[in-house]
Amino acid sequence: MTKIIKKYTYLFVSFFKASLMAELEFRFNIAARIVTDIVWYIAQLSVFEVLFRHTENLSGWTLPETRVFMGLLFVTDSIFMMLFSENLDRMGEKVRRGELDLLLVKPVNSQWMMSFQKVSVAYIGNFLISSAWLAWSLSQIESFKPINTLWLLLTVPIGLSIVYAIRFLTSATALFFTRADAINYIWYQVYRLGTRPDTIFPQILRYMILTVMPIAFLASVPAQIILGKSGPQLLVLGGTLSILLVYASSRFWKYGLKSYSSASS
Amino acid sequence: MINIETENLTRTYETYRKPEGLLKSIQGLWARKVEQKVAVHPTTLSIAKGEIVGLVGSNGAGKTTLLKLLSGLIHPSGGSAKVLGYAPTSRDPEFLKRISILLGQKNQLWWDLPPADSYDLLARIYEINPIEARSRVRELAELLQCSEQLHVQLRRLSLGERMKMEIIGALLHQPEVLFLDEPTIGLDIIAQTTIREFLATYVKERKPTLILTSHYMDDISLLADRLLLISQGSIVYDGSVEEFVAKAENRQTLSLKLLNPPTTDVSIAGHFQLEAGTRNIKVELAANVIGDVLQALMSLSPVQEIKIEEVEFEDVIHSFMQQDARMRASSSAPAARV
Amino acid sequence: MLGCARLAALQQLEYRFNLLADTMIQPFVVGLVEITLWMAFFASSGQAELAGFGREYYLSYALWAAFISRVSTSWMYESLMIQDIELGTVNSVLVRPISFFEYYLGQLMGYKVLTTAISLMAPITLCLFLDLPVSLSRLPLALALTFYYLILVHVISMIIASLGFFFTRIHHLTVAKNITLWMLTGEFFPLDIAPEPFKSILTALPFSSAVFRPVGYLTERLPVSTIYEGFLSVTIGLLVLGPVAALLWNAGRRRYSGTGA
Repeated sequence: MTKIIKKYTYLFVSFFKASLMAELEFRFNIAARIVTDIVWYIAQLSVFEVLFRHTENLSGWTLPETRVFMGLLFVTDSIFMMLFSENLDRMGEKVRRGELDLLLVKPVNSQWMMSFQKVSVAYIGNFLISSAWLAWSLSQIESFKPINTLWLLLTVPIGLSIVYAIRFLTSATALFFTRADAINYIWYQVYRLGTRPDTIFPQILRYMILTVMPIAFLASVPAQIILGKSGPQLLVLGGTLSILLVYASSRFWKYGLKSYSSASS
Repeated sequence: MINIETENLTRTYETYRKPEGLLKSIQGLWARKVEQKVAVHPTTLSIAKGEIVGLVGSNGAGKTTLLKLLSGLIHPSGGSAKVLGYAPTSRDPEFLKRISILLGQKNQLWWDLPPADSYDLLARIYEINPIEARSRVRELAELLQCSEQLHVQLRRLSLGERMKMEIIGALLHQPEVLFLDEPTIGLDIIAQTTIREFLATYVKERKPTLILTSHYMDDISLLADRLLLISQGSIVYDGSVEEFVAKAENRQTLSLKLLNPPTTDVSIAGHFQLEAGTRNIKVELAANVIGDVLQALMSLSPVQEIKIEEVEFEDVIHSFMQQDARMRASSSAPAARV
Repeated sequence: MLGCARLAALQQLEYRFNLLADTMIQPFVVGLVEITLWMAFFASSGQAELAGFGREYYLSYALWAAFISRVSTSWMYESLMIQDIELGTVNSVLVRPISFFEYYLGQLMGYKVLTTAISLMAPITLCLFLDLPVSLSRLPLALALTFYYLILVHVISMIIASLGFFFTRIHHLTVAKNITLWMLTGEFFPLDIAPEPFKSILTALPFSSAVFRPVGYLTERLPVSTIYEGFLSVTIGLLVLGPVAALLWNAGRRRYSGTGA
């Protein structure tokens, strides 16, 4: 068991170094990526900043609390993007080109390879910026207890696993459908649901994003826990769901590989 | 010791006919015609350890599909295969460490990295000692005459250099079973020769079990002991290269010059027609009729520059393919048997 | 160029599941998500009106904004254009008698016409079902502005794609550009509820013709003059960015190293 952990850790570190070397080549791209995300942050924040000019309260959230929510969203998002965006977004392309083959003949877990092959090192910049925002927005809340940040050690991995699993499941449909750009777009919409505090949504939808498509664990649930708006019980649900979903992604992948037929000859 | 064996291994694809035109395309939204295409007919094979097999066939004949079935990349629709005692589709890591597949122009190495870095990654994947891996790389690169390019990013290398790097990557973990799909395709003559000679040296030293597909008969004739001819998903010949050439109607090429060309069309010993005014003759004939033809020609006119050559292996294959295609087109009879 | 439009339509019909998701499912989902935000706003703010318009109005706006913004965004063809240049397959386009610009403009329009026609059903149905304010007779003019705006979008795509001659792997610019446009077009909220000076700047820019003007007009928030102003500002945008695109493209072609196939 330790041998396996060692191997995959070594591999991950190698991938990280290789990705770093490869990415440093494209300095323009790194800058572009940071700028892109800053623009995205501003876009997301602007909606709430404008809305809160016309109201004090939005489904139980105040502006300072919403800023914390956004901070958590940005931080988790930057980690997710760093680890998985390149790999999962390009999966459809790789499958279509038949590049999956070269991965399947290697003595490594193909799902792991597909998911971790490339690390988007540029997002470290975003991680730093978003962490700064999170720290600042937390400091603006008088009732906030710094010890609550420890919850992040649980909420972030749970949120990441859930988002990873959902994203992987959508990307893996490329094994069945030759082109699935639209499924990707649907994924973005599901993700979008996670970019709003869950209390905004009508009851049915709220239930869904806490169970069936538990995107609420991306930022909404962690924000509630860290702000003391709700107790940590939801984390039990989150933890269970994350394990189930990752397992489901693995089964789906194996099932998909069976029906996979390589492109062209 | 048998390394590769299959029993009634077969693979079928489902594909649909694309409709022509805008109207039919809209119809295609809900009604599509599905067609079954057999890529590989039930095939039973046995390949021993250390054998070098040349797999030859025209495009779409099923060569690559067969390789993919044997390497576990695609699941068979029927029958079974065993490579090194494993079912390829099990994708057992121990199995994967002992095989290697090189697919024509597809890159397994990382595009933005120098090959040397890719090899470090591969070494980790295959659990090879990194120092040992580097020395293997050095050795292979020297033989392939590409040591200087090891630290240049892959995307900056020419096609030939990339191919050499891919080969090193494929051989790094010293696989016992090697599948090479068109390793020299699209390369210039020099690169082809270098790779060919390298492979010849490599197989002599390491003795892997190798299945090689190629359009270049030089690859096959230089490297392969055994020849598998595949046509429309079926193996139509399985034997040694020499046997094939011998069996396929011992033919020779006769070339000569007539000093006095004929003034009218004339038939030569009933074997071919000679047009009026033809001075240079080059014709392919069965070996046993060359004597008659030569006599007939010499009675027409004095001859010069006589040359009798063995027919190229390549030409034999081509004429076989043509014959096979003709037979298939004319009837749904089984493919030409050699 | 019509041939290119037809080609695009054919290609899309090929991948029928994708087409379905792209034209039907996606707008529905987006519309619903945005609607919930506005519902929540009106539920918790205790207000009945915002900037003179009631709750139903904003729901309608959110729905139509989601749909119209899909029409006026180009990511797929822009990505294809970038990819062409990146991989060097642009060679095959460059040797054809039709220009790169026209080739992709034709494809873009063909695709947009097809997908717009199909996904039109989504917001119309939802508006009727939820009894939301919309003036369908205004739809043709609103769409006309949107399609005219698409030409500007395509010019911007050309600029970005041309940068591909100078820098490798610029796909992130597409994303950055689209997200920026997101904010500028009025997709998230009607631009006139933004505080000054943002409100004036944003409405003056041609990007307001992507969503805010057509949807504002369609939902009877804005008078017909907004459409004329939109045509004007987009034209100005074309006059400014058009030459930039041409310059960049030509400079890029000169620099072109022809990597790849």
